[in-house]
Parts: sequence; C-alpha cells; structure tokens
Amino acid sequence: MSILVHDPGLETTVQDTGRFGHYAIGFPPSGALDSFAYHVGNALVGNAPGAAALEAVYLGPTLEFTADTVIAVTGADIPATLDGEAVPTWESVAVRAGQTLAFGQLTGGARPYVAVAGGIDVPAVYGSRSTYTLVGMGGFGGRGLAEGDELTLGDDAVSPRAGRRLSDDDVPTYPEIAELRLLVGLHSYRLTPDSLERFTDTAWKVTPDANRVGYRYRGAELEFVPREQPFGAGSDPANVTDCGYPVGSVQVPGGVEPIVLLQDAVTGGGYATLGTVVSVDRDRLAQTKTGDRTRFVAVDLDEALTIRRDRAAQLDRIRTALA
Amino acid sequence: MGHTITAKTPGVFYRKPSPDAEPYVADGATVAEGDVIGLIEVMKTYREVKADAAGTVSTWHVDDEDEVTIGQELVELDT
Amino acid sequence: MAEHEGIRYDHGGDEFVYAEVSTAMSLPAHFTALAITRRLAEEAIPGVEEICPSNASYMVRVDPDRLHPRDLVRELQRIESEVGDKASADPSFTIDTRIVDVPIMLNDPWTHEVLMKFRDRHQDPNGTDLDYGARINGYDTTEAFIDALAGSPYLVTMMGFVPGLPWCFQLVPRERQVEVPKYIRPRTETPERAFGFGGAFAVIYPVKGAGGYQLFGSAPAPIFDAAQEQPDFAENDSVVFFRHGDVINFRRVDEAGYDEVREQVAAKQWRYRTAPVDFSPSRFLADPDGTNAAMLEALYR
Repeated sequence: MSILVHDPGLETTVQDTGRFGHYAIGFPPSGALDSFAYHVGNALVGNAPGAAALEAVYLGPTLEFTADTVIAVTGADIPATLDGEAVPTWESVAVRAGQTLAFGQLTGGARPYVAVAGGIDVPAVYGSRSTYTLVGMGGFGGRGLAEGDELTLGDDAVSPRAGRRLSDDDVPTYPEIAELRLLVGLHSYRLTPDSLERFTDTAWKVTPDANRVGYRYRGAELEFVPREQPFGAGSDPANVTDCGYPVGSVQVPGGVEPIVLLQDAVTGGGYATLGTVVSVDRDRLAQTKTGDRTRFVAVDLDEALTIRRDRAAQLDRIRTALA
Repeated sequence: MGHTITAKTPGVFYRKPSPDAEPYVADGATVAEGDVIGLIEVMKTYREVKADAAGTVSTWHVDDEDEVTIGQELVELDT
Repeated sequence: MAEHEGIRYDHGGDEFVYAEVSTAMSLPAHFTALAITRRLAEEAIPGVEEICPSNASYMVRVDPDRLHPRDLVRELQRIESEVGDKASADPSFTIDTRIVDVPIMLNDPWTHEVLMKFRDRHQDPNGTDLDYGARINGYDTTEAFIDALAGSPYLVTMMGFVPGLPWCFQLVPRERQVEVPKYIRPRTETPERAFGFGGAFAVIYPVKGAGGYQLFGSAPAPIFDAAQEQPDFAENDSVVFFRHGDVINFRRVDEAGYDEVREQVAAKQWRYRTAPVDFSPSRFLADPDGTNAAMLEALYR
C-alpha cells in the first residue's frame, strides 16, 4: 500500500505533532503548523493521535493511492477531487485502489492537510516523523515531496472508516483579517510605548517571506528605546545578548517588518522579542498567506491558558464524537 | 471573447526570467495554451505561470514585481 | 560574586518561561544560569519539558496542562535563592564537563572569498572582517588580534540557532574579551563550518546558510553530522558534537593542517581530542589564566 506523488504541489511535507526534547541543542519542534487541522484529520480517518500526515501550502499535491484506504482533507478551504469527482473536506472519504486525489484553487486559509488511514510511514528521527528541511532531517528524505516519490503507509490506524464528518460548528473559518492573540513581554521594554501600541493597532500585511520558519509582516515602523548597548549584545538597538527564542515569539530586526517565529525557526539569537503568540493561534497564523492582513491582540497569561484549555476540550469532544 | 489568467499562488510576479531579460510575452503577442507568461516567486522558489488558454495578450492587471495573491487577475487574453 | 540583582522572569506565551539573569553577558551571569538549569534538570519536576540554558539567561518549555507557568516561576525563584549566587562563589560548585581541541584556520581562503562578496553589508567595506575586528578592539596588528582570539579557551554558553551551533564565550577577564558588531545587513551566504564572531561570542556555523557574524576563519572538522558518519557522532548516537558547558580550545592550523583534518574527515576517521574537566567557576574567576593552563595541560598531555 503506497501513495504515488504525481505532482508534489508546493512544499508538501510529512508532519506529525513535532520533535520535542532537543530545543536546547538547536532543534526546533517542526510538526504540523496548524495542529487543529492535523489532529482532526487523524481523528476523522480513525488514526491514533500523532500519526504522520501531509501538510501542503497554497497548492495541494496530486496523489495516487495504490490500494483501498480512507483519507481526510482538512485545513484550508480548497476543492478536492478523487478522479475528478468532488469530495468533501473535513470528512473521511473512502478511496479505491488506483484513484487520484487532486486539488483546485484555494479559496481560504493557506495549508491543506491530508490524513491517511495508518499514517505516513517514514522513519522517526529524534522521536518524530516531522520534516525539518533546513538540515534535511525527518519526513521523506528530509525534504518536501517531489514528483515520483512513493510514500508507504504505516500502522497507526485504529478504526479507519469513511463518512465521519466534523460538525459544521467546529469547522474553522478564515476571516479576512486574522487575529492572533499574544502575550506582550520578553524584551518588549526595548520598544517605545508608542511603538508597542502601534504594534497592536496595525493591520499588518503578510509579506512574501512567510513559510514554516516564520512569517514576516509589513505595515508600520517601530522604534527602540535608545540605550547604551549591554556588553555582548552587539551594536544594533534591536540586539540583545543572544538568548533562547520561544516558538511563536515576535522579533523586529531593524524596527521594520516584525517576524513571528514558527515551528521550523531558529531556536535562539540576538534580536529583541516583544512577545509571543499563544500556541493555539499558531493554527490561525498557519492559515494566513502572503498579502493577507493580520492583527495582534494582547492577552494575559490567564487568558492564554484559558484559550489553551478550551482548545484541548474542543479536541477531546471532537475525538469522542468521531470515535 | 476574453480569458483572464489568474495567480495560483501568492507571491511576487515577474514578467521576465531575469532582471535584464526580455519579458516572456510582449504586449500584443500571441500565446498558445501552456506557454510561460511569467513567474511567481513563492517560498523562495520560482514557479512558472502558464497560459491556460490560447490568445493575444491584451491588458495586464499587474506590473512586473508586483505582489499578487491567489486568484488575482494577472493578464487578459483576447481569444 | 554574581553581578546580577535578581533574575527577571517572564512568560513566552503559554509554553515558555524566560529567565534573564542579566542584560549584559558576563561569566558570573552565565554561571548563575548554569547552576540553576543544572539543578532544575536534577529535580525533574513534572511539567518541565525542556531546559535551555543560554548566555546570560535561560528558557524552559513547560507543559501548562501539568504545571502552571506561574508555579514554575515560583520553583525557579526557589532554585535561584538556593544556588543562584553559589555558582560563582562556592568552590564546591563544579561542572563535570570536557575540554575539546578544535582545529581552526583563521584568515582562511574560503570565508575570505565569501566575506569579500558582501563588503556592501559590512561596517568597513575596504578591509576584511579580521582587520576590522582588530582595529575596533584596539589591536595594533591583525596578527596580534588572531593571537588573542586563539590564545585562551572558550566556554560553550549556549547551543542553538540551528542544530549543533555552539555560542562560545572566551574564558578571559572582561578587559581582554573581544566584542564586535554583527554585519549591518546579514549575508545571504555563510560557508559550512565558518568560524564567526558577533557581539561577544564566537560560533562555528554547522551548516551553510545566511549569517550576520564577522567571518574570521574556518573549522576543518564537522560539528554537525546528519548521517553520523564520523565515529564521534556514531558512538554518541548524536548528529551534533558539542554540548552546553563544553570548554573549547581553538587550535590554530595552517592550510596543511586544515587539509590533514579534511582527509581524516573524508576517510570517516576524524576524532576530536578531548579530556575530562571538573570546571569550577569560582576557581576560574579567582585565577583565569592558571585554570586555563591546567585545562590545556590536561588536554594536550
């Protein structure tokens, strides 16, 4: 049983929940950027949580299945077809041997996910099947899929069944302006109060520099508080003594173009960070694309933890309903 | 009759293969289906934009090096 | 004595806690971070998922479903009060680590070729990165600057950026520490194994890529080995060589010495020379040169 890649789409990679425990030596977690879409996909096809799936961006891949199986397409709003016939998304679908999955033009979001019964079977590297392309580790040969690749399927299927469907209320919508909630802090004192206010007042535009490493935005200029730089930090006012970067943290090299670091980002460096996007909202971020507008909304730690608990409860409810 | 070619990905649109090269297609040129009419730079790769119909280039809706989004109209063909 | 006045704690979203010992780099600040993170690792508190010591700070990834991030901060404050100042003051606090011999060619042809391509992004378009570093650090000649860079060992005070990259802080008193700015605009290119310097830190780039540090030289031996082909990597079942807390002696080699290492790498027989070290921050702070000499003697004995 395998999947033949006829057209890889764009940066289609194998991802799971991520590679943890090695941040201190410089391994970012990698893993599905939109963890909600990824987890729902596995629940729909009846996989164990953590089975590897495919993450694509903007364009879906074209994939032929060599045996009967069950799949689910989740994430971005994008028409999917099996041998040219439309198939629903956010729903598990039976695939017959020889059928080909293809995608049309994306109308909302940015990243479609394809979950397959059994999961994608690639070797786990440092405890994860996720692809980390920067050093070519994990996933399928450490890289995005290419035409002619043949993926084998794993044994993570628990109860594969077609016809499971996510309740409409749980299907995310992708608004014109995404709101990302963040905890202001870390080195936010490096920015002037005016600039911090401008940061949350601006509808930032996603630049073309937006990928699994991070998203870069344009829309306003931010100023740093003048100071004599501390020893070791370097001379630029955006510099601090090199330190760890939380996943989701926001830095502003040069005072223009803030960058949100994502799951394939560098793990540390010497730029001041002004805050961190709450973990749940990296899902929303992952569904924004170049040209989209994004606002950052300040929340406190209690709100961030409530957001996290609500999402966990929602996923539990969905898994129970789909089991 | 007309046909509009749209962007399949967001990114930066280029009418030329390199900064000092001639455009892929001149204004008023005739293109066949499958001809390359430009490039979109997305995720540090350049993807060819191909004509999905035959026709004559009439109106450009974007300039060279414009940022474009998915579904954005790039160029009008007279078919 | 530690130079800090209490650690600043903050939350990096719901999953990270950041602890800043000092805004400025110093060995005492680092030793405090080191002592706290070592103790935290020993305590194995449920919900503490990853511990990342860095130069003058550290970061912890927490599972907030198991440990409230505010409770984690309270634990960290407790540990701070127990060991924070001890690291630099108490002779009984030592780090069980190793000293590693790392061959390095300074002023090498490979990084020279790259740095000359990016003069428009550099503070001094007319010189080289080494000439610039020598001048702004008050050295009469580039050779004297190189002697200082390779003259005393370094401590790996942080790992990361990309897998396996060591941030190295030279084990010398503050007045002898080198400091250089980063490039005005980062380069789009840095050769694999380049030896760079930025702020107060020396680094080796594990893989090629973008970079903003001054380029001073090149290391012939790999520090990242994805296929684990070299014995040091295979035996440790690790794709990275360095560990936080390693002491590194950058040993100058000429082009012949560089090539010799490359041949061993090609034959998949390269091995780093190392010696175990029981590093005492307080003893080091009292006698830096004597401590360094003893470690070097252990390494090259």
